Amino acid sequence: MSAHPLEYAAPETLEDALALLATHGPEAKVLAGGQSLVPLLNYRLARPRLIVDINGLPLASVHADDGRLRLGALTRHHELEESPEITRRCPLLGEAARLVGNVRVRSLGTLGGSLAHADPAAELPMAMVALDAHLTLASSSGHRTVPAREFFRGYLTTALAPDELLTEIAVPVVPGAGWAIEEFSRRPGDFAIVGVAALVSLDRHGHVEDARLAFAGVGDRPVRVPAAEDALRGGEPADARLARAAEIARDALEPASDAFVSGAYRRLLAGVLCRRALGRAVARALGVP
Amino acid sequence: MIRRLVVNGRARELDVLPHQTLLEVLRDTLGIFEVKEGCGEGVCGACTVLLEGRPVSSCLVLALAVRGRAILTVRGLEGEGGLHPLQEAFVKSGAVQCGFCTPGMLLTALAFLEHHPRPTREAIRAALEGNLCRCTGYTKIVDAVLAYARGDEGHG
Amino acid sequence: MAEAVVLHPSLRLVGRPLPRHDARDKVAAATAYAADWGMPGMLQATVLRSPYASARIVKLDTGRAAAMPGVAAVLTAKDVPRNTLATDVPGQTTAVGPLRATLHVLATERVRHQGEPVALVAAETLEQARAAAEAIEVQYEPLPGVFDPEAALAPGAPRVHEAGNLLAHWRIARGDSAAAFARAAVIVEGEYTTQFVDAAYLEPESGVAWIDSDGVITIRVSTQVIEHFRDVAEVLQIPQNRVRVIGPYLGGGFGGKEDVTVEVYLGLLALRTGRPVKMVWTRQESLLARAKRHPYRMRYRTGASASGEIVAEQIDLLADAGAYAYLSALVLLYSTVTAAGPYRVPAVEVEARCAYTNNPPTSAMRGFGAMQTVFAYESQMDRIGRALGLDPVEIRRMNALRRGDSLPVGQVLETHVAMPELAERVWAALGPVRPARAAHVKVGRGLACNLQPYGRIVWLHDWSSAWVGFEMDGSLVVRCGVPDVGGGQASSLCQIAAEVLGVGLEQVSVHIGDSALTPLAGTTTASRQLYMSGNAVLKAARELRAQLLAVAAPMLGVKDSALDLLEGAVVADGGRSLPVPDVLRRCAREGVPRSHLAVYHAPAGEPVDLATGSGKVFPDYTFGAHAAEVEIDMETGAVRLVKYVAAHDVGRAINPQSVEGQIQGGAVQGLGGGLLEEVILEEGINLTTSFASYLIPTAADVPDVEALVVESGEGLGPFNARGIGEPPIGPPAAAVANAIADATGVRLTRLPLTPERLARALGLLGKAG
Ligand SMILES: Cc1cc2nc3c(=O)[nH]c(=O)nc-3n(C[C@H](O)[C@H](O)[C@H](O)COP(=O)(O)OP(=O)(O)OC[C@H]3O[C@@H](n4cnc5c(N)ncnc54)[C@H](O)[C@@H]3O)c2cc1C
Ligand code: FES
Ligand code: FES
Repeated sequence: MSAHPLEYAAPETLEDALALLATHGPEAKVLAGGQSLVPLLNYRLARPRLIVDINGLPLASVHADDGRLRLGALTRHHELEESPEITRRCPLLGEAARLVGNVRVRSLGTLGGSLAHADPAAELPMAMVALDAHLTLASSSGHRTVPAREFFRGYLTTALAPDELLTEIAVPVVPGAGWAIEEFSRRPGDFAIVGVAALVSLDRHGHVEDARLAFAGVGDRPVRVPAAEDALRGGEPADARLARAAEIARDALEPASDAFVSGAYRRLLAGVLCRRALGRAVARALGVP
Repeated sequence: MIRRLVVNGRARELDVLPHQTLLEVLRDTLGIFEVKEGCGEGVCGACTVLLEGRPVSSCLVLALAVRGRAILTVRGLEGEGGLHPLQEAFVKSGAVQCGFCTPGMLLTALAFLEHHPRPTREAIRAALEGNLCRCTGYTKIVDAVLAYARGDEGHG
Repeated sequence: MAEAVVLHPSLRLVGRPLPRHDARDKVAAATAYAADWGMPGMLQATVLRSPYASARIVKLDTGRAAAMPGVAAVLTAKDVPRNTLATDVPGQTTAVGPLRATLHVLATERVRHQGEPVALVAAETLEQARAAAEAIEVQYEPLPGVFDPEAALAPGAPRVHEAGNLLAHWRIARGDSAAAFARAAVIVEGEYTTQFVDAAYLEPESGVAWIDSDGVITIRVSTQVIEHFRDVAEVLQIPQNRVRVIGPYLGGGFGGKEDVTVEVYLGLLALRTGRPVKMVWTRQESLLARAKRHPYRMRYRTGASASGEIVAEQIDLLADAGAYAYLSALVLLYSTVTAAGPYRVPAVEVEARCAYTNNPPTSAMRGFGAMQTVFAYESQMDRIGRALGLDPVEIRRMNALRRGDSLPVGQVLETHVAMPELAERVWAALGPVRPARAAHVKVGRGLACNLQPYGRIVWLHDWSSAWVGFEMDGSLVVRCGVPDVGGGQASSLCQIAAEVLGVGLEQVSVHIGDSALTPLAGTTTASRQLYMSGNAVLKAARELRAQLLAVAAPMLGVKDSALDLLEGAVVADGGRSLPVPDVLRRCAREGVPRSHLAVYHAPAGEPVDLATGSGKVFPDYTFGAHAAEVEIDMETGAVRLVKYVAAHDVGRAINPQSVEGQIQGGAVQGLGGGLLEEVILEEGINLTTSFASYLIPTAADVPDVEALVVESGEGLGPFNARGIGEPPIGPPAAAVANAIADATGVRLTRLPLTPERLARALGLLGKAG
């Protein structure tokens, strides 16, 4: 519907794609699943000169090696939900992807697109921050690896330069870790008002060895709360301790109010969901189904 | 750009502009009006088509990006001369009021049932959560999907 | 009054859950909705709307836009032959006294709400039309606005219209309420607020207009009111018989397509360009531009005796009419008349006002003012019951209206009032209480009853007409100008005609919704279509039957009273029969018509003086009761609907499946309004113009709705049916609020009942909240 000339390119190799981005820079827009980009085009909120459709690139592969799960940027949400390989090594991802949008969004939407779009309420960016994933960004002059926590820079803003493509996401696999995602939305399938991803691993004595908590919907990007994680480490995962950690997390967050939800309510949700997520994550770490 | 679209098993060559969505091309260029526009933003499901068997919002797909790939609309469902049994179940169960959501509901339900042949009412509701209906309140739509899944003949 | 109908001891078709003929076309996606239409050489059109809620237009220059490629016409107010549109009673043919609601087709020097139409563009392509609309130079000078009806009525408020901001004021005063309150053992006071709600049908407003070969401007449009052809003619300043409106099957209406939408714009552009023109609103435009349901602020004071009888009620209603009158005065009248609910209240005072603001206009929507009040009066009932230790059914049983009682306005209820039994039935249908599933979850149940008028206000002298005729082969044709909004309006007419004339449903063809070719039937609104057009078809079919039997009697050598029409034949007592086509041929020879055109007039009356409560306002009412079971997450305020039962006395269900569908769909719309939906405005600017932010219920938000179709056998419609289109939308919000109160002890008085509001009321957000 845009009233200005728009070009379309569907490169078949990564080199060609990167060359196009290098030439056109900010004038070009990468098209992956289109589930965030096409609405922007339809409403003319984005007016690129060139669409670089990357769906023909070999970026959809899933590999597991030396303790990492390596996911191509074009891995679709439904694959995260359904792939036995992914579910076995990192079940958190399936749980996160299931919560994304509706079935049609999950048919087409990609992991790379979701991360590059960087909506602060989105599940997959939150999951990647919780998982301490590493993102590979490629350009015609080489590639670099960025930790998820540094990739997200603000509302719909990332470390990606205009000529860069997100190609791969490497997720460290933590065997035996318990996980859970809790989120609260007005309707199923809507963006979360608040979401939380929890990962808990226990040592031989049943004490918390490592804990990670990431929140969505409470700031301009996915947020980790180290103080709450610290409060969990080393101790027994008793309910009171989980509740205490959830309170620390809640109190550390300063979500803003908007016309739809108040900051105070988001904060309440963050505390409650965090405690519930920790409870489920610990149960899973203990092998309770 | 002249491109090939494959709709309901039939290949068509047509002129497609880069910004055109599949929905626009289906309706405005090909006159395939069984695909409805209810929101243009991926929320309502009225524009659902199956892309290689998976439901997608045709309003959020650039037509050029699906060149050559199999697209199914509700008209592609009909068997020889008759309605698909799920369509029959919708009629019998009273699952159709204004009918604007119906094509999208049918396709979404079929794609779901492909992998979940014995669903519960809850599972059907979850599977259809991305397809809005403003008329029926959904109860009879769930009735219809369940009746079809069970293979009920006489009554939906 | 409806005559007692005894055609056959057992009806063949009426009363059976028959699949609708239109459903087959719809599942096959063969139905051509308004936007699925096209004409050779058709232009695409768009509307330029005001981005401001209150502003003066200081400059409006279309020069650049008109010169852009592909542009065929750019119209502003000065191009509209008569720039005034009457909006008071859509489709009305008789004068209605002092009501006179109008607006400009296109804004002149002033805009009063965001989205107000300023200019029209038609171009070869939609992109060109949109580009040209963007290129129209409009300079606005923002003016102070007023965004709340209370503020609008305060002295010194900015005036939305010169004549002042009070749009309508109705009063009822009946009995000595001061004395009655003095005697009351318990008095409950409450203030309740409801929100702006959007009809949010799935099919956006759309249509195509062309000048037909006979020079008649023909507009095929998604509308509930084909009689708008008159309004188009008025604006175009051409004779009414030169405009034809065709109303195809709608993708939903719910009152939102009762006022004009695209038809006037299309008429103007077709007339100007001489070419076919299409206009389809986007979802965003629909949510921005369409009139909404009125938000209400309702103050109730209810007094009851120690045993639970309500003795007095004082009610103060204030509605936000938005920037233009539309149907606000009538909506407010519905609220006024129904304000005390389906209960006997000997002393009542109602003050009802609505005020102009710079918010979006508000007008008709399913429930039409009789639904907002349900939230208030049913919350009050629950609180009185609780205060006196009476269970929800008991308090309602004690106070329920009965036949012969009169409403506060003085109207005596002449048909059965199924009130206590409906409440008892839904309450029982909830079954045994289930225990909560988790420690942080509480379970509660709520009940709410309502009454909703069906048929138009009696002094509007409503009528409908229908034509029923046999073809020579014995197949049947029904012609009736009803728009079918999806409720099965057309198929019910077929069922009635087929019943009376002894043919199978598959032998009936129905032609609907064409202002030139089908007899006018009035609007598909006010739960009136089955009642009015059903009666018209019934009357036509009966006359036709009599005509046929009179011709057949001598052929069979018996009296016509001994004849019946069955399975396409005239049958006599002894089993002798004549195929209908034989009788039709005889009719043709004898000059007896094989068709009949009937007009049904609703019982009419004169305007009543509300204040003194002098009589009938509506033909009759439909009663209902709903019950909900909810689970509350006591830590987040989330409300999950677990069970929902809805019962209405529909008099007689012509098609029980359609009736269930109306009940289920209406209940879920009501639940949407109760829990999810809200048009959020900031200083008149709409923040919810997408389906991602205006939240209608999905399949996963609601449980199955168990619909109990109750048939008292009394009602004014055909076969004693009552209207059922609107009634089910009334009770859900109150039923849920009452269930929340039951579970938590906390009462929410503002819609929608959001989790944040409940969390706040539960004290989860700190005392300050
Ligand atoms: C109705 C609806 C509901 C939704 N609900 C949710 C929800 O609940 N939760 C949620 O998280 N998301 C939701 N989404 C968004 C969805 O998850 C998108 O799929 C996702 O945000 C973007 O992925 P995509 O592959 O579709 O990306 P695209 O739309 O193709 O691209 C998005 C952005 O990322 C850029 N981009 C894409 N891939 C790359 C890459 N490899 N390298 C560099 N840049 C790239 C694009 O240029 C564009 O700017 C919803 C979307 C819709 C339409
Ligand atoms: S029109 Fe595509 S999802 Fe609504
Ligand atoms: S039947 Fe009307 S929207 Fe579903």
